[in-house]
Formats: sequence, structure tokens, C-alpha cells
Amino acid sequence: MSDSRANRLALMFLAPAATVLLLVVAYPFLYNIGMSFTNWNMYHFRDPTFNGLQNYGRLFMEERFWTILGKTFLWTGVNLVFHFVLGLSAALLLNRRLPGRPIYRALLILPWAMPQYISALTWRGMFNLEFGAVNLLLGKLGLESIGWFSGEGAAFSAAIITNIWLGFPFIMVVALGGLQSIPRELYEAAHIDGASAWRQFRSITMPMLKPVMMPALVLGTIWTFNNLNVIWLVTNQGEPADKSHILVTFVYKAAFTYYRYGYAAAFSVMIFLILFSIVRVYHRVSREEAPA
Amino acid sequence: MKQRVGIEILFAAVLVTTPLVLSTACGRIDRSDQVVIWEQMDPVEQALLETHIEEFQAAHPEYAEFSITHVHYTPEDVRTQYQTAAMAYGGPNLVYGPSDQTGPFSIMGLIAPLDEIFTAEELSRFDPSGLPTLDGHVWGLPDQVGNHLTLVANLEWVDEIPDDTDTWLAQLQDLTVDTDGDGKIDRYGLVFNMAEPFWLVPWLGGFGGWVMDDAGEPTLDSAAMSAALEFLLALKQAGVVPRECDYPLADTLFKEGRAAYVINGPWSWQGYREAGREIRLAPLPRVSSTGLWPSPMRAAKCYSVNRYLDPDARACTLDLLRWLTGPEAQADLAREMGVLPADLAVRQRPELVADELLAASRSQIDKGRPMPIVPEMRAIWDVMRPSYQSVLNGELSPADAPRRMQEQAVSAIAEMRE
Repeated sequence: MSDSRANRLALMFLAPAATVLLLVVAYPFLYNIGMSFTNWNMYHFRDPTFNGLQNYGRLFMEERFWTILGKTFLWTGVNLVFHFVLGLSAALLLNRRLPGRPIYRALLILPWAMPQYISALTWRGMFNLEFGAVNLLLGKLGLESIGWFSGEGAAFSAAIITNIWLGFPFIMVVALGGLQSIPRELYEAAHIDGASAWRQFRSITMPMLKPVMMPALVLGTIWTFNNLNVIWLVTNQGEPADKSHILVTFVYKAAFTYYRYGYAAAFSVMIFLILFSIVRVYHRVSREEAPA
Repeated sequence: MKQRVGIEILFAAVLVTTPLVLSTACGRIDRSDQVVIWEQMDPVEQALLETHIEEFQAAHPEYAEFSITHVHYTPEDVRTQYQTAAMAYGGPNLVYGPSDQTGPFSIMGLIAPLDEIFTAEELSRFDPSGLPTLDGHVWGLPDQVGNHLTLVANLEWVDEIPDDTDTWLAQLQDLTVDTDGDGKIDRYGLVFNMAEPFWLVPWLGGFGGWVMDDAGEPTLDSAAMSAALEFLLALKQAGVVPRECDYPLADTLFKEGRAAYVINGPWSWQGYREAGREIRLAPLPRVSSTGLWPSPMRAAKCYSVNRYLDPDARACTLDLLRWLTGPEAQADLAREMGVLPADLAVRQRPELVADELLAASRSQIDKGRPMPIVPEMRAIWDVMRPSYQSVLNGELSPADAPRRMQEQAVSAIAEMRE
């Protein structure tokens, strides 16, 4: 079969999926961009008019945008570090011969298997000042109770703890899959050459895991950056005093509490651009480090 | 060559049919023989709704070909989901929830004005304060008036319910006990949702204030707001309420018998009885310093009609609406839920007048004030919440909070109206 004919055949098979993607991804995406240049709100629900860059201008002028943006980066960064470290550590442990390994594996996947909504609300209850399991445990250890939802830092930490618990199993599952595909002969050869465990990890495990972990990290970044449920439910819509918002929770509020659709659409476009830039950087880094 | 032609025909067929299939799936669904209700109801209300639908179907054989279904949502979801669906000219035939949701729906043009569908005589049987009215139009038909907070006492611990706050506070202190002497409170005098300003509003009224004026402008910066916040902070400082308490915790503590009083609404009473608590309702005690009764917000719960109703389903939808807000349906709700019927004649039925729970509930409703249905109310809730929480956390003084609330409300409302 000639190249052009093979390409055409491939295109034919791709066409239905491409059509669906165009309709369910591209159309809403472009619609949202269009909306961001209008005054679409409750009072102009059926007759929005073009207002140029007004929504974007307002966004950049608002101090709260920059504050929330900073918090979103902090939220994403801290979560990713813990997801990665805990997930990889758990995967390394589960990759060894351990008694009862299937049980540990099932238990560690549980947080991921549970509906996020249920986990978030359960954790909120566990952070209650007087009756929550976390403070009761702290009390047993002789430590002071923490008012998790009384202070900005504590509330944000509560949400981060919940999301770390929810998110590390994903990295663990991906890493475990990667670890199991590394040929054992490499470790045996390294062992014969006298390489220490750390050296083996640095020179064999990490480079071999990288192709699997990079996409997982990109996905993890996008999911964490856009994680509405955990912040919204654990901090009860941004407690205390609206200080626990990240970009997506703020957008949700602008759209569905204040009916400011145009403004919220502009905010969403900014979130997309930020995530797009992050993904581009990831791609560039992976391409530069890939063997020629 | 034959194979290639076959593939190209297949390709062309897929290209043509995919958009067709998708347009059918994404487009407006044929609902000419369906009536769908999106509701925000408590379990007891849902069971009654199902009974009333069955009765309607039995009484109206002319609608035998119609399928009548209901889909449950949380209060927040019913609002956001309906907004999204109706924006695309879809959604259910009827949407049910607290009357305040009719404000934004009507402004956005998503629901039909009912005064143009029902006659003045048909509307005259409803309590006028329960008919959600905005811009001279009626936007919903209520089946109950209430949705109000009231004081619920656990009779295991409470013999007599005081009717002024000074006596009540002294009683709360006696009722708050550490039974095993471990330094932790085992039973609180009072529990309520301390995270939401809905529970602050009754006290704002008790100190002589309110959230907005008749023109819909916020009136949060008042001495009354400061005094109400001070009062609630004093409850916390006196230790008669938990140091932190949201709705699930308040509900659980009362159900477990670990609180003498709870402040809650009609949706909760059945659950307390099922949990084995013997309860009595009473109006929130009169504020001793002002002599005023606290005024919880009361709201009707009502059905609104989708503006983009399928014409073939219109007659069935409207007759169903008449049935669901009819006298028998309202009487059932009043008996089962202790809510006040919106139908004025039903309120006078002897069995409802004699009902002790209903009488107590009605006594609180009479002291309440209607919840404004203007959409700006959402901004007011939203700005009250953080300052209220900050006061209870000790980060903001009750004297400074009202000004902050007012400034934020004015700014948020201006943004909404842009």
C-alpha cells in the first residue's frame, strides 16, 4: 500500500473521533472565548454585547486575581511534590517482595477509588475543631487542637492534606506500572558492578521511569490546578472569609453565584493559557532530554 | 479498487451520519409526551410528590400517554443545572425550589410569568406573601410557606422553653454539662449552623435590623447587625455552643441527644423524631434588650414553569401544576412536614388548626419576614458569610464587621449589575 493511500485510510478512521472532538471540545472552547469578550451576565442573558477586552482588563487590574493565582501555584506545587514523593515511595515499596502485598496495594488505591465528593466531606468532618478525628488524635499525642477553618493557612493546609491523600495513589499506580516494566537484568548488572542502591535508583530506576512519569505529572498538574471539588467542599466555599480560593473555585463563584458569565469566561481563558504554557514547558523539557 | 471504493463509501457514510447522530443527541430532545420536574425536596416531600403524581395520573386518564418523572437536585444544583439547561432552551417542564431562585430565573427570562397563564381567581387562593412576585409578575406557584428556622427543644433535657434571651442564656448555661468530668463538654445547651449567615438573620431582626431595604439596597451597616453579631459571639464565648459547628455537626449532636436545643427548619424535624428524640418547637426567644422577636426568613417553596415548554406537553404540565399546588396536596404537606399551606383556605381546616406542631411552626412563621427574591440577595448572603465567620473566629470585631459587609455588598451588587 502506498504511503498516501495508507495516510488516507488512517485519516478516514480518525475522522469520526475528530468530528466528535470538534463538537464536544472545540466548540465549547471557542464559545467560551467568544463569551469572554462580552458583557454576558444575568441582566444580559439573552442580549449580550461585545465589550472588547474589558473583562481581561478588569482581571489584570484586580489585586485578588494575582493573590489567587499565587495561591493556585502554591496549591499545585505542594500537592504535586507530595503526590510524587509519596506515590513513588509507595510504588517502590510495593514493587518489592512483601508479605500481604496485594492487601497493601488495595488499601493504598482506596483513596483514589473513593468518590472525591465523599472523601472531601469526610475530611471536612475530620478537621472539626472539637469533634474531628485529626484534633482528637493530636490531643492523644499531647498536642494542641488546631482550628482548621479559623485561619487562612490552616484551612488551606486542610485542603492540601485532603488532596494529597486523594492524589498520591494515581502516581503510585503509574509508577508501579513503570517499575514493573524495567528489566531485572539491569539491576543485576549494576549489582555485579558494585552500584549502591541509591546509584541504581538514580541511574536505572529514574531514567527508565521518566517516560511514564512525565505524562502523569502533566496530568497531575492539570487536575490539581483545576481541582474544584476539594477546595470547595473541604473549606465550604473558601472558608475562612473567602481566603482559601484557587482560580477555578473563584471562577465558579463568579459564574454561578454572581452570574458574571463574561467575566468568568475571561478568567477561564486565563486558566487555559496558564496551563497551556505549563504543558509546553513540560514538552520542551522532555524533548530536550530525550535521547537523539 | 473495489475495496478502496468500499472504504470511501464507508467513510462518507460515517461523515454524514456522525453529525446527524450528534445533532440529535445534543439538540432539543422530543419531550412532547413527557413531563419532567426538577426538584429540590426533602425525602418526605419526595415521597409525597410521587404519591401526588400517581393520584394525578389516576384522576386524569386523558394524559395516560404522558410519562411524568421527577429528578432530585440539591438546592444549589437545581439552580445551576436549570440555568445551564434553560440557557440552551432545554431543561424540565417544571422546576421546584425555594422562591428566591425565581428572581434570577425571571430576570434571565428562563421561566414563564404565571399571571399570564393562570387567572386572577386561580391565584387568589394563595397567600399573597407566598407568591414570588417581581416586576409585577408572578413567577411561581407555592405549595407551602415556611422554610424558616425555629427553636427545637429536646424534651429529655428541656422542661420549659423561655421566651426571652436573658432567661434562655441562663438556661443554656445550666444545660451545658461535662457529665464525666474529663474537661470536655458532653452536652451543649444549643447547636446551630455557625458557618452560614442564614442563622444570623433571625437575630439581626431581633435587634431591629434587616438585610436590605424596599428598594433592594443592602442595609447591613447597622447597629442592629453589630448587636446581633455580638450576641452570637457571646454565645460562643459563654461556651454554650460548640467552638466550631456547621450544619452536619449540629444535626448529629442533636440527633444523638448531645444538645438540648437546635435551631433548624421544617426539613429537619422528621429526622429528629426518627432518631428517637422527643421534640417541641418554639419561636426563638424575644431579645431581652430590644423586646423584639427574632425574625427568621420565611420563603415559599414553589413550582415555576419553563419558558421553553414543549407546546404538546403544555396542557398536561399546567394541570399537573394545579394538582401539585392544589388543596389536597398542600394539606398532605402540612400534615407530614409541619409547614404552613400557601393556600389560605387549607390553613383554616380544623385538623390543621388543631395540630400542635403546625401551630408552633406557624407561631414562628408569623414572626418571620419574607425572604427577598431579588437576585442581589445572593450577593448579600455571599458577603455576610466571610465577615460573620471572621467575627466568630475572633479575627474581626462585631463593631467593624457591618461596615465591611456593607462595602462588599455594594461592590458585589454593582458588579452583578454591570
